[in-house]
Amino acid sequence: MRNLRLPGFALAIPAWVWLAVFFIAPVGVVFWYSFGYKPGLFGTHANDKLSLDRYLEVLTPTFFDTFVATMWIALAGTALCLVIGGPVAYWMAVKSPPAWRGLLLALVLVPFWTNFLVRTIGWQVILAPEGWASQAAQAIGLPAFDILYTRAAVLLGVVYNYLPLMILPLYVAFDRVGEPLREASRDLGANRLRTFWRVTLPLARPGIIVGVLLVYIPLMGDYITATVLGGAKGNMVGQMVAAQFQTAQNWALGSAMAVTLILVIVLSAGVVGALLWLVSWPMRRANRLVLGEVGS
Amino acid sequence: MAANDDVRILASRAAAPIVRRELSRRGFLAVAGGVGTTMLLAACTTPGGDPAPAATGGTLENALSIYTWGDYDAPEVLEAFTSEKGPRITLDSYGSNEEMIAKLVAAKGTSGYDIIVPTGVFIPQLIENGLLYKLNRDLIPNIEHVDEAYLGRVWDPNNEYSICKAWGTTGFVYDKTVIQRELKTWDDFFDAAKNEASGKTSVLDDPVEITGIYYWANGIDWDTTDPAEIDAAEKFLLEELAPHISAFDSYPGGAAIPQATHALMQVWNGDARLGIMNSPDPDRWQWVLGSPATELWMDNWAISASAPHPEAAHAFLNFVLDPEYAVAQIDYIGYHTGAKGIEQMAEEAGLGMLDMVFFTPEQLATMQDGEINEAQERNVEIWNKLKAAAGA
Amino acid sequence: MSRSADPRADIATERGAVTLQAVTKRYGDQTAVDALSLDIQPGEFLSLLGPSGCGKTTTLRMIAGFEHPDEGDIQISGRSVLGTPAYRRDVNTVFQAYALFPHLTVAENVAYGLQQKRVPKLELRERVAAALEMVQMRGFADRKPTQLSGGQQQRVALARALVNRPAVLLLDEPLGALDRQLREEMQLELKLLQAQLGITFVFVTHDQDEALSMSDRIAVMRDGRIEQLADADTIYARPASAYVAAFVGQQNFFDGVVAPDGAGVDSPRAQLRPATPLSGFAAGDAARAAVRPEFVELSADRPSGNVNIASGDVIGVSHLGEMLQFLVQLDEQTAVLSRRPTPDAPALSVGDRVWATWRPDAVQVFPAGDAAARSGYVPPPTAAQISDP
Ligand SMILES: Nc1ncnc2c1ncn2[C@@H]1O[C@H](COP(=O)(O)OP(=O)(O)OP(=O)(O)O)[C@@H](O)[C@H]1O
Ligand SMILES: [Mg+2]
Repeated sequence: MRNLRLPGFALAIPAWVWLAVFFIAPVGVVFWYSFGYKPGLFGTHANDKLSLDRYLEVLTPTFFDTFVATMWIALAGTALCLVIGGPVAYWMAVKSPPAWRGLLLALVLVPFWTNFLVRTIGWQVILAPEGWASQAAQAIGLPAFDILYTRAAVLLGVVYNYLPLMILPLYVAFDRVGEPLREASRDLGANRLRTFWRVTLPLARPGIIVGVLLVYIPLMGDYITATVLGGAKGNMVGQMVAAQFQTAQNWALGSAMAVTLILVIVLSAGVVGALLWLVSWPMRRANRLVLGEVGS
Repeated sequence: MAANDDVRILASRAAAPIVRRELSRRGFLAVAGGVGTTMLLAACTTPGGDPAPAATGGTLENALSIYTWGDYDAPEVLEAFTSEKGPRITLDSYGSNEEMIAKLVAAKGTSGYDIIVPTGVFIPQLIENGLLYKLNRDLIPNIEHVDEAYLGRVWDPNNEYSICKAWGTTGFVYDKTVIQRELKTWDDFFDAAKNEASGKTSVLDDPVEITGIYYWANGIDWDTTDPAEIDAAEKFLLEELAPHISAFDSYPGGAAIPQATHALMQVWNGDARLGIMNSPDPDRWQWVLGSPATELWMDNWAISASAPHPEAAHAFLNFVLDPEYAVAQIDYIGYHTGAKGIEQMAEEAGLGMLDMVFFTPEQLATMQDGEINEAQERNVEIWNKLKAAAGA
Repeated sequence: MSRSADPRADIATERGAVTLQAVTKRYGDQTAVDALSLDIQPGEFLSLLGPSGCGKTTTLRMIAGFEHPDEGDIQISGRSVLGTPAYRRDVNTVFQAYALFPHLTVAENVAYGLQQKRVPKLELRERVAAALEMVQMRGFADRKPTQLSGGQQQRVALARALVNRPAVLLLDEPLGALDRQLREEMQLELKLLQAQLGITFVFVTHDQDEALSMSDRIAVMRDGRIEQLADADTIYARPASAYVAAFVGQQNFFDGVVAPDGAGVDSPRAQLRPATPLSGFAAGDAARAAVRPEFVELSADRPSGNVNIASGDVIGVSHLGEMLQFLVQLDEQTAVLSRRPTPDAPALSVGDRVWATWRPDAVQVFPAGDAAARSGYVPPPTAAQISDP
């Protein structure tokens, strides 16, 4: 029998095909459309004349204002998810009884069993002025609870919908650091806090980055969560992109907006990363040790 | 409604119909799902394929495929067609006209759909792209049961391609506990939005509906393309209305009215009726038809140019236009179907709040047809600006 | 090699002394360490030896502060550490899997403990360099642990612990992951280092040879208790129980009853007579006698005498380098192992009928009902290979 041997990269082919078909191709199409124009009332796009004009049309004060609002919601939402999800993931991976962890992970995933839109609308029902939250507040003598259609409601929805995406990679990251390394750190005289800063956190960093990107990137493009709970206060740039594709049927302009959005997401992720790197530089410097010629 | 169990939600039973409704006609889901799929599919816009065989009244095919808004036909009517005429019906649904058009264009005649239900203003675009089948009116004698008033609209003056399926209009609903005076016109709407209902006002999430309020209030043609008029609308809406808007909501009847989220809402009549019927306190709400002018939108039966079952499609159109089924349809969807004498039938059947479904000839005279024209791009721009301003 | 176990009154309070008093640790209804008491002297090399699951790691982890005893007291350098968290104990650990920090270089790993103590930078660099020098890893200071071999990682782990100059160094099977040759080299180096630094070493192993060759004293553990605590010679020559006898080195066991005159044990295949009469046994008591393979001599002719003799067939001969090893079948259930220095070994091959004899002072007698149930040759934890020629 002949022994069929595949080259090493063969295993990665499905992943590359997947990436090519579902990511690179659509983005390529959008990129291409963004240089075209809308040909007449009933056409959506044409590329026989190429220009950068659509990008000029994108850069309006409206787009900029909406962008700032979107960025605010995305950054605040990501930060909240990190602040809330971080300790939860740490507790799950480090402090909780190991026998519970499977169950805890399952509980984190429970919301995913239901359609995301339905869940968000569920919150709308809860947060309405005469909804459960308000009734509960009034039942215990508090004033009526009216946060629907505010930024607070948007952030609540964002945390609710995106928290699992933060907790899961953080859990994996904290879990992978492992008890032995934390014990080694304590054995060498570091208390729990120092152990966290010098061992757990640096080793969990890739997971933290994944979690932050996993929340931040989709959040920048999501407008459903924000509009369902925030109403006018949940206006997101994704909505403008959708409006161009759907209502205006101007795919060229919509594409230019989408490309701009992608660029800004990449850029802002890079800026945030660079800032974090800079902020942590003194600490890394303080702990760096190059022996050179000492003592030898 | 039979399909309640299809929606798995972690909310109370009372909330289920609300959520379900959000998922159906023109709901969010379509907006969420539409963009990605249409982009990939629509690389080419030339419709093609062989023209479908003409319908001549021969034997019916044994199947029929309907592509329509979610939850838009009474199930018993569809079942009756299959049991009486034979063809088995397959239903598929869309959430926006644009989604439906994109799919038909991308499929290049292979979509397999027989019947589609476009909104009137999109019919010229569908015709221009060769997506509609020219009806064989000999096979649809029941068109005589359709009220003349709803035939021959601007988008298809001779009903060569389409026949009224349901129509509605726009007005507003207000909370009488918050606004303790009588509102009658769009000017009153603006006034209440600026005063009692400031921060508690919602408008429809659709650019022409919002600019429409200004045009209707000021006696300007809704379909205007005059830049000066458009600029004036933009200025007014941005300065006078935007600061008071708390949501852009196309379906306040789904949740906002039953839950009293807003005090003043621009709303389509059928949705307003549903919301007030579902409210724990219906007397709290007042419906007002937009005045001095408002719109008339109409969804229409049409047959796809590439229909694989044209005989069955024609038979179906003739079947649903039979007055026998008019009440079942109106009861199910809550909008006027255009059938003659339907008002009387609905009253006899004991349906409630019919003043929000049927209108006097004087009122009908104030309702304008929409149009997709060169102003569309500006309307979208105004819509985006309004949203940015209201969200600030 | 052995240090006298003279318990001077103040020695238990010196830096480096470790005392466990009736320490018990339970996991659920399982008792991992059972009322264990142990005095470790300053500067001593003490091994905890025992089979898997006997509680060695648990004992070590309680000294380090990672586990807390349910009962009893633990003192380090004369002071109870029950309330002291691990990071404040004057103790460092070399972990079985090394637990080097993968994100830090070798030098940074070694510096970690000193950084926690806020040692001034200059001194820190010198001590790190010296520690790496000591384990001959100076040239690898800037590498990451993943770029090192197992033996190199082990040295770094050692340097990382020793650089702190702890009172006590705990080592949990630190050589377990190394190959045999490297392990033997490291055993020697470790022992030399310990002698040179004078730090107390508590060394966990389940390798008896490792324990015998390195330790001042060995604590043989069984089911969470100490079965015998003594120097290597005593453990080997005078095991306190059949369990210890079986665990350390190899043994031939003979089950039988105490002879009527109390002079020894009569088993179905042999009468075993130690050099001195048994004490603490009554005639007819069930007893177990043991003879180490190196004391069993073989000859083709029947030697004189009726005691300390058995006959059988050679069923296996194997070479162990300087030793030859013979397996002699006495009956269906019983075999005897004999080990002779290669130059003096009798010329025997499989199938030969032989007589096995041993001197009276090679015979040890234990109460029965203890340790392995089968009589005859009891395979040690690391079974010797028997080759069929
Ligand atoms: N965290 C724990 N939870 C429950 N039981 C444990 C735990 N740690 C140890 N044990 C049990 O305690 C007993 C002693 O374990 P310990 O790890 O001390 O053994 P050991 O002598 O080090 O064994 P090995 O040579 O295999 O490392 C074992 O039966 C083990 O199953
Ligand atoms: Mg162990």
